[in-house]
Amino acid sequence: MSADDRVPMLEMRKVGAHYGAIKVLHDVDIVIYPGEMVCLLGGNASGKSTTLKTILGIVRVTEGEMTFLGERADTLTTADRIERGMAVVPENRRIFPRMTVRENLEMGAYLRRDKKAIAEDMDYVFDLFPRIRERLDQQGGTMSGGEQQMLAMGRALMSRPKLILMDEPSMGLAPLFVERIFEIIKQVNERGISVFVVEQNANVALGIADRGYVLQTGEVVLSGRARDLLNNEAMKRAYLGDI
Amino acid sequence: MSAPQLKRWLPWAILALLVLLIVWRMLYLGTVSERFNAAFFARAAIDSVKLGSLYALIALGYTMVYGIIRLINFAHGEVFMVGAFATYFLFTITPYSLPGGIALAIVMAYAAMRVTELFRGSMRDPLVLGVGVVAVVGLTWALTSFTWPFWAALVGSMLATGVLGLTIDRVAYVPLRTAPRNSLLITAIAVSFLLQNVGLLAFTNRQTPFRPDTPLNDPFTLVVAGQPVLTNNLLVAIPVITLVLVLALTSFVTRSRLGKAMRASAQDAEVAQMMGVSVNKVIATTFLLGSILAAAGGAMWGLNFGSLNQPATLGILPGIKAFAAAVIGGIGSLPGAVIGAMIIGFSENFMSALFPRTPTFQGVTEFKDTFAFVLLIIVLLVRPSGIVGEDLSEKV
Repeated sequence: MSADDRVPMLEMRKVGAHYGAIKVLHDVDIVIYPGEMVCLLGGNASGKSTTLKTILGIVRVTEGEMTFLGERADTLTTADRIERGMAVVPENRRIFPRMTVRENLEMGAYLRRDKKAIAEDMDYVFDLFPRIRERLDQQGGTMSGGEQQMLAMGRALMSRPKLILMDEPSMGLAPLFVERIFEIIKQVNERGISVFVVEQNANVALGIADRGYVLQTGEVVLSGRARDLLNNEAMKRAYLGDI
Repeated sequence: MSAPQLKRWLPWAILALLVLLIVWRMLYLGTVSERFNAAFFARAAIDSVKLGSLYALIALGYTMVYGIIRLINFAHGEVFMVGAFATYFLFTITPYSLPGGIALAIVMAYAAMRVTELFRGSMRDPLVLGVGVVAVVGLTWALTSFTWPFWAALVGSMLATGVLGLTIDRVAYVPLRTAPRNSLLITAIAVSFLLQNVGLLAFTNRQTPFRPDTPLNDPFTLVVAGQPVLTNNLLVAIPVITLVLVLALTSFVTRSRLGKAMRASAQDAEVAQMMGVSVNKVIATTFLLGSILAAAGGAMWGLNFGSLNQPATLGILPGIKAFAAAVIGGIGSLPGAVIGAMIIGFSENFMSALFPRTPTFQGVTEFKDTFAFVLLIIVLLVRPSGIVGEDLSEKV
């Protein structure tokens, strides 16, 4: 079965977005299929984070359209999109520094009312990140960068998402930790949760992703299977460096 | 001693030194004249605690709104003013005619529903709707049937003023959510002027005596070191009501779902939104709660001073001092607002007691309104983040 016969989980068709009068995304076409792990690569100010915020509804779609789980999504509020199964691990973690670790996790489940299932998901997060369990009553801001990254991922998992959006999970972390984090991302993906990772660290991201897109000044300039991208000459020159 | 250790002990050392200086000054004054005895200072302390509590109720509104939208809500002093006058009118001119009673009952019932909603999560919740229906019927009956006791006027004013806060947010601030911050600030000043003038037209244009017949006003005599100090039940009532409201607010903010969303929004509004929090809802809630607290302050303000200034001036000085209190304590922090308010309450009354009029010195009483602002300047110079405020240099 070729990839295109499947029903997409998220589809952006010719999406454009503006910051005020400045157009920052041009005709972006991105598709994510259920269970897939897709990465979005690009340099600084290429529009990676904007794409992610557009998917979430923090930045408005001004051209084109977007569907999520078969439903037109670009008119939905952020809360509605979260409720339908999106979750985000924001750039720089951005956990709530003056809330406890437990409260941070609770915020991840903000739109849910099913107390029992929430408790189950919290246990799942503890299994994934044993360190979090030890620090439940500590203020989020007192944890190390790596622990905060785990907490941010745990927080995203607390909404029991179908699609997790991650913005630069490797940023500011020690190389050893980057590896750990991506291992965990893979583990989460293997549970059937689709993952969309925005990364600058192309090598690591393409190493575990199924497919990738490359963004340049707000346009998708390259896309394809991760393995093909890794071997692409233009890609190597621009992003991967000499390996 | 290492630097972090010094940093930890320094505030306590300063506090201890301050207390020592004050005690020394009090003892010294005692040798100057026997007028300056324990009862004299007790009277100043009593006034300080009452005033500090009232400032605290106003300051909490400033600090909550600032914490979430970084707006110094200059209209907040006028919200306090409306709360004071609403209490006055609920108390003095009830019962109302039927149409007026129904209109007011609907306003208050709406506030009662919004307060219930804080704990239930939806306006369509059966309990919320039930509260609404019962409140409309009950309040209409109560407003049109008898003269309200003071405590009922207090609660009624809190509800009505809560709706005013929601309205100000909806009409003046929601349309400017994405506008530059200065536009918001200027709008806040405009709302403040608007309310002052509407107050002049709708309420009164002169100083209004307000001595309601309530047990809260009953006098009692405190004995301090063998000396009688005449005071009234407000000495207990104002701090206790304030404490109850502050504790209720604190537990709401730390325990409830919406309260946690409020704190999350104050720390990072965009990420809170990414978790599904409706930031507009959170902002509306801060205006509701802030206005309710300010109204409680306004109601007891009239009681404490026995009269209300005319509407154009009543809110200004208390408002601006409460704002100073919020900044001194650390704007954005709830405990900070209360601590700052107490400090200002004490600076106003206790400075006058520490430097009283004597045959050779005219005393500092006339300058009591300036101490709040002198303190504000000192705190801004020495510790701009306020006493318990977060370090502003903290990376974001």
